[in-house]
Amino acid sequence: MPKTDHAIELTDYERQDFSVCLGCKICASVCTVNDLDLSTNPQEMLQKLFLGKDVAADDPLVRFCTGCYRCTGACPWEIRIPDVVRALRQVHATESPFEKAFKGSVAIWGRVYEPYVLMRAVPFLLKGGYIKHMMRWMEYMGIHLPHKVKRT
Amino acid sequence: MEYGYYPGCSLTGSAHKLDKGIKKVFAKQGHTLKEIPDWNCCGAFEYGDRKELAGFSKKNLEKARGHFSEIVAPCPACYKNLREADEKREFAVTHPLDLFDEAFFAAMKQDRDLKGQVFTPYYGCILLRPKETAIRNNTVMEETITRFGGDVAGEAVKDRCCGGNQIFINKDVTEKLSRLVLDKSRGTIVVFCPLCHMAMKTFSGERKVVYYTDLLLYIMGENSTL
Ligand code: SF4
Ligand code: SF4
Ligand code: SF4
Ligand code: SF4
Repeated sequence: MPKTDHAIELTDYERQDFSVCLGCKICASVCTVNDLDLSTNPQEMLQKLFLGKDVAADDPLVRFCTGCYRCTGACPWEIRIPDVVRALRQVHATESPFEKAFKGSVAIWGRVYEPYVLMRAVPFLLKGGYIKHMMRWMEYMGIHLPHKVKRT
Repeated sequence: MEYGYYPGCSLTGSAHKLDKGIKKVFAKQGHTLKEIPDWNCCGAFEYGDRKELAGFSKKNLEKARGHFSEIVAPCPACYKNLREADEKREFAVTHPLDLFDEAFFAAMKQDRDLKGQVFTPYYGCILLRPKETAIRNNTVMEETITRFGGDVAGEAVKDRCCGGNQIFINKDVTEKLSRLVLDKSRGTIVVFCPLCHMAMKTFSGERKVVYYTDLLLYIMGENSTL
């Protein structure tokens, strides 16, 4: 069974649900990923899933979808394409170190404790060239101690 | 009126300014925000399993049960997740932007106006899409600005995506998308979403980026909010 089928199980959809797709490509015409000089077409992704084919982890849509729901807003069936993309990311386990840290924090405290997430993601932040933005973030980011994570 | 309040993680951390702003605005209008006891993270958009994601917000609703009937959640992602988890519409999960209506402004104490100032209201995605969870009034920020004599610019980009939720995945994506928005906006950029705020702030250079609550507080006479 392709990984893909498992991804559909994670969404509120069933494979047959994608049969309603008209192939009109309105989703592609509004997709934010296409603002990045990448060419992508959500309809193709749905078609692959419908046909039981795999969608690769390095598909531009899987990598760069921003979850903006522009596609959903424009689609005649309001298909929630970003929900499908997130499920694909999950089965492909393509989370960034930052996302892993986010989930780690939720598992420990039930909340996202930002300093913990940032600390855990330090190597990624260094390598990714985030340090130049740090000063900017410090300007408005309140760094507080762990005992204040639960304030209620 | 007393509302149940769901600040979410970002408002207790990097978006503390929005948290304080909301509380101040509500207090000035005579409303109380009471935090849902021991709330947990809503999971944002980090979980690919819809049931797992909804589970976080269902837990929060359980914690609110018996305490509140109306819940206010300022972070658009938290708001959307809570609303989607409330399948039986047991609660009125409300975004604060939907509370800034005619009655609100009629009761508001105005101390200053916005004459001579230009603003680009920027909503981003989740406040406006998907339809089922979108805010009711998608021109509330523009209406506020013009009501108090300010000029509105940048209408064409108000619903574009800043790529905020890719900022810790593929930063270049966020930079490119945020710049598309920044290039087409003029004056002070007014946002509500903490993630939009972060993306805009990161790449805005000398441009001013403020929360909508900063704007309200300025009009109400608070110092150094704009
Ligand atoms: S949610 Fe993803 S697929 Fe849909 S328009 Fe936005 S970027 Fe494209
Ligand atoms: S907009 Fe909807 S119906 Fe049209 S191609 Fe895209 S997914 Fe299919
Ligand atoms: S969306 Fe962001 S702020 Fe809201 S609870 Fe979830 S992680 Fe925390
Ligand atoms: S942060 Fe960006 S991606 Fe998220 S809602 Fe705001 S505009 Fe959209």
